[in-house]
Amino acid sequence: MKRNNMSVKNMMGLAAVVGILVFSSLSFGEEAYDEDTYGPKAPILWTKPVKGVAFFHKTHTMDAGLSCDSCHDSIFEMAAGTAEQNADFTMASLYKGKYCGACHDGSMAFASNTRCTTCHIGVKGYNKLTGAAPQGKGSGKH
Amino acid sequence: MKIDDLEKLKSEGVENLPSEERRRFLRFGLAVTGVFVGGSVLSLTSARNAQSSMGPVPAEGKFPYSPHYTMVMRQNRCIDCERCMEACVKTNNVPSYGYRTTILQQERAIARGEKERVFMPVLCNHCNRPPCVRVCPTTATYKDKKNGIVMMDYKRCIGCKTCMAACPYNARYFKEENRAIDKCNFCFDTRLSKGETTTACSAACPAGVRIFGDLTNYDSEAYQLIHKPEKVVWVLRPETGAIPNVFYMND
Repeated sequence: MKRNNMSVKNMMGLAAVVGILVFSSLSFGEEAYDEDTYGPKAPILWTKPVKGVAFFHKTHTMDAGLSCDSCHDSIFEMAAGTAEQNADFTMASLYKGKYCGACHDGSMAFASNTRCTTCHIGVKGYNKLTGAAPQGKGSGKH
Repeated sequence: MKIDDLEKLKSEGVENLPSEERRRFLRFGLAVTGVFVGGSVLSLTSARNAQSSMGPVPAEGKFPYSPHYTMVMRQNRCIDCERCMEACVKTNNVPSYGYRTTILQQERAIARGEKERVFMPVLCNHCNRPPCVRVCPTTATYKDKKNGIVMMDYKRCIGCKTCMAACPYNARYFKEENRAIDKCNFCFDTRLSKGETTTACSAACPAGVRIFGDLTNYDSEAYQLIHKPEKVVWVLRPETGAIPNVFYMND
């Protein structure tokens, strides 16, 4: 009797897992992340002028509906790591409407002098993103 | 009398108890009840010094030291760039396995199932009633009589680590090189005693999180910050009663 109950439970659990898998694969199929449309999947990570700042293309393109030419090449160069070469890539410039500050001004998106930790993931966040999946780079697998 | 003999005795029964015995029993019961009732009534009256709603900032003139060093953390400015930790390591010769200051990370739930990151810088709180000093068997760690910094006398330390266990802020580590406990001393030996006015971590912070200052100096930024109108100031683990001197706020 007990054994039967267990097997029924197990079956139900299995069915639920299969269902979730099927459902999620379907939903992924509907709106798959396309790097050509939405930009690189991997986060852009800055270490200058301070360590641990992350930018996710997905948040800005797929989720917020911006297109590539909203930022490229007027606000940011296409090549990653170009902005941080500039001496004026600082928070002070952002407050003046440069770089991220072009949108993050408090009206279009949250002001760049608020909610610091949204973009500043810190050394801990940086290590988590880079250390957790060191082989992820270039392999296409996440 | 042996137990075997006791078992053979006939029960006297409660109906044969003398009334004197009954009265004594009842009086004892009343006394116990009275103590409990009295305590409950007392607990309903307000304690004179209860100031939890007023926050942890000591009242005017209640700073026992001069200068009374403090650090104010404007917590929401912290971005975990860890320049403070780097500066501390460099200034105070901190080995890779230890720390005098660190950054903790929290996830705080905000609306719509989202979460926000909160970084919390932590260092020795230089408590007014330091539990570490209380437990040290050799007085190797002590409260400086003048400025209130919780200091270490490495030569006296026997490395028993009792202070590490007692510290509510996990602000101590055993330094192998010294064979002694090491901890933050607000850069007293490396900077303050050499004429600098701030700690290495505070000087290195690019976001103005760590404001070091003297609470007896009413013009200092630290004093001004924690006495700002309409601002909530808190300390870590106030329930320990250690009366810490590192204050936290959001700007």
